[in-house]
Amino acid sequence: MNIFSSLGIAIKALRAHKARTFLASLGILIGIASVIIMVAIGKGSQQEVMDVIAGMGENLITVNAGEMKRRGGRLRLTGNVTTLTVRDANRIMDEIGEVERVAPFEQKSMTAKFGNNSAETTIAGSTIDFPIVRDYKLKSGDVFSERDVKTANRVAVIGMTAVKNLFGEEDPLGQVIKVHFMPYKIIGVFEPKGVDTNGLDQDDLVLIPLSTYMRRIANQTFITRIFVKASSRKNIAKASKKIHELLRENHKLTDDRNDDFTLVSQLDIEEMKKETTEMFTKLIVGVAGISLLVGGIGILAVMLISVKERTREIGIRRAVGATRKDIVRQFLYESLIIGFLGGGLGVALGVGLTLGLTHWGNWTLILDLNSIWVASWACAGIGVLFGVFPAIKASKLDPMVALTTE
Amino acid sequence: MNLIEMNSICKSYRNIGFETKVLKDVTLHIKEGDYVGIIGPSGAGKSTLMAIMGCLAQPTSGEYILDGEQVGKLNDRKLSRVRNEKIGFVFQAFHLLPGVSALENVTLPLVYAKNPPGNIKERARELLAKVGLEHRLHHTPGQLSGGEQQRVTIARSLISDPRIILADEPTGNLDSKNGIETMKTFDSLVKEGKTIILITHDQEVAQHAGRIISILDGQIASDSEVNHEAQTRSL
Repeated sequence: MNIFSSLGIAIKALRAHKARTFLASLGILIGIASVIIMVAIGKGSQQEVMDVIAGMGENLITVNAGEMKRRGGRLRLTGNVTTLTVRDANRIMDEIGEVERVAPFEQKSMTAKFGNNSAETTIAGSTIDFPIVRDYKLKSGDVFSERDVKTANRVAVIGMTAVKNLFGEEDPLGQVIKVHFMPYKIIGVFEPKGVDTNGLDQDDLVLIPLSTYMRRIANQTFITRIFVKASSRKNIAKASKKIHELLRENHKLTDDRNDDFTLVSQLDIEEMKKETTEMFTKLIVGVAGISLLVGGIGILAVMLISVKERTREIGIRRAVGATRKDIVRQFLYESLIIGFLGGGLGVALGVGLTLGLTHWGNWTLILDLNSIWVASWACAGIGVLFGVFPAIKASKLDPMVALTTE
Repeated sequence: MNLIEMNSICKSYRNIGFETKVLKDVTLHIKEGDYVGIIGPSGAGKSTLMAIMGCLAQPTSGEYILDGEQVGKLNDRKLSRVRNEKIGFVFQAFHLLPGVSALENVTLPLVYAKNPPGNIKERARELLAKVGLEHRLHHTPGQLSGGEQQRVTIARSLISDPRIILADEPTGNLDSKNGIETMKTFDSLVKEGKTIILITHDQEVAQHAGRIISILDGQIASDSEVNHEAQTRSL
């Protein structure tokens, strides 16, 4: 008996019980579809996170004052450290070859006023390299000049959220806002950047020269952050190491003392996010395994019922010359087809939903062809695995007994 | 030459430690072209004897030579081949595949044949015409009467052109008219040279055979030739 007639018999039997065949494959169908969607969601959010990390600034290394500790999955500064200064920033820029640009940075949440409007926003002080290091692009106007920084001019470049809160639809360029009773002239507006990896709005920002900030807002000499742009991705690690050594020396830290600063590079953040992604991947694999197992048990149950119901048919086939192997093959093909059917429909549903959600649902989903490939083979495997027992059971039936079973 | 040669066949079933002997030392020879009726009350071992003869079961001990081949010790694959090529079954309950057309039911044995002939459909059609069902080719068993179903079964038993037809109570589920028709078909098959073994509890049906073997309690109680001419005279 050749493969095609076995297949033909299996297909005929399945077509005779369309509803049951569909129900048997339903478990596999849902399992495969959900795995495909979950993998797509995982990939999509991973991509989103990577985009955000890249958007924070290319080859970025952040020097934070004080020791940073991870709390609730996020890095937070602990304590109040006053040792980080603009001099550190200048030395990093001047002495480390792998560093391209440096932006010392200080910020504070304050109320800004325009006419009768007032809004809570982040007032930040930095140098002219800040937009380049942090990858802020100008929508209109200009960034303040070297001269503005030197003379501590009261000029500001403003983010889109702050624009909306203060000006509404009005053009902010050339307008004057008041922060802490002091007027600042808006000379530029940043393009929107969205949220960072901690979910904070990066557009709720009023950027003024660092010198102005130190004199008018903070009245201090230390800063809390230095943004450093390494010359290339390859050099991030090397630059980090050199910055670390330089700062320890500059802060006169002896070997027995801990760092009073924390370096976080783009690579560190990527690594951190990767951990989350890997956990998500493990979760997906677990769920996929369970749903495929459930699907397989569905096939097993239906095939056992099918064998029981068709005992007489098995007897008839054996009487006219079917071998045990023929019977095994017939039932194995049936479960294999159920598996493939569930897998095929599952892939179709999963891919369809993924594309639909991307198109209409405004989700970022990325189809993973590997997951589809693996899923297809998994359901064939499940079909065979859970079909073997019923098939062997069918073939072991005594033909004489099978024929006399009602 | 003996087509069927059974020597000291025993068959016992083991059931929860108890051994039930169904056939006890049955020795039986059947020649090619014979028309044999096997009679006996239910539980006498008729069905078991038929199962062994039809290669649906293996004897516990003894020797079974079918068409010159020792089949008592064959493996499943070879035994299935013997069933497929040398034996045609006609059952009391017809045993047709439900939901499948008469034509496909008739061709079923050839699905499992090692070297199926090319003109399968044509042969099946001829056989169905032979049993008077040329107008029912595409009907499923459910759409056929009992008599018609039995005729499909007979057509199926002939598709592989087997040497032996094993009929187990072929008239048991039929009314007398269809029963007589079925027996006439067997009579004509004997004339074509087939060996027919008829298992029945019905004396009248058994009278069609040329030789009647009666089974009692797992053993052969009597084995006699039937003198048809003597019968006709007495009627």
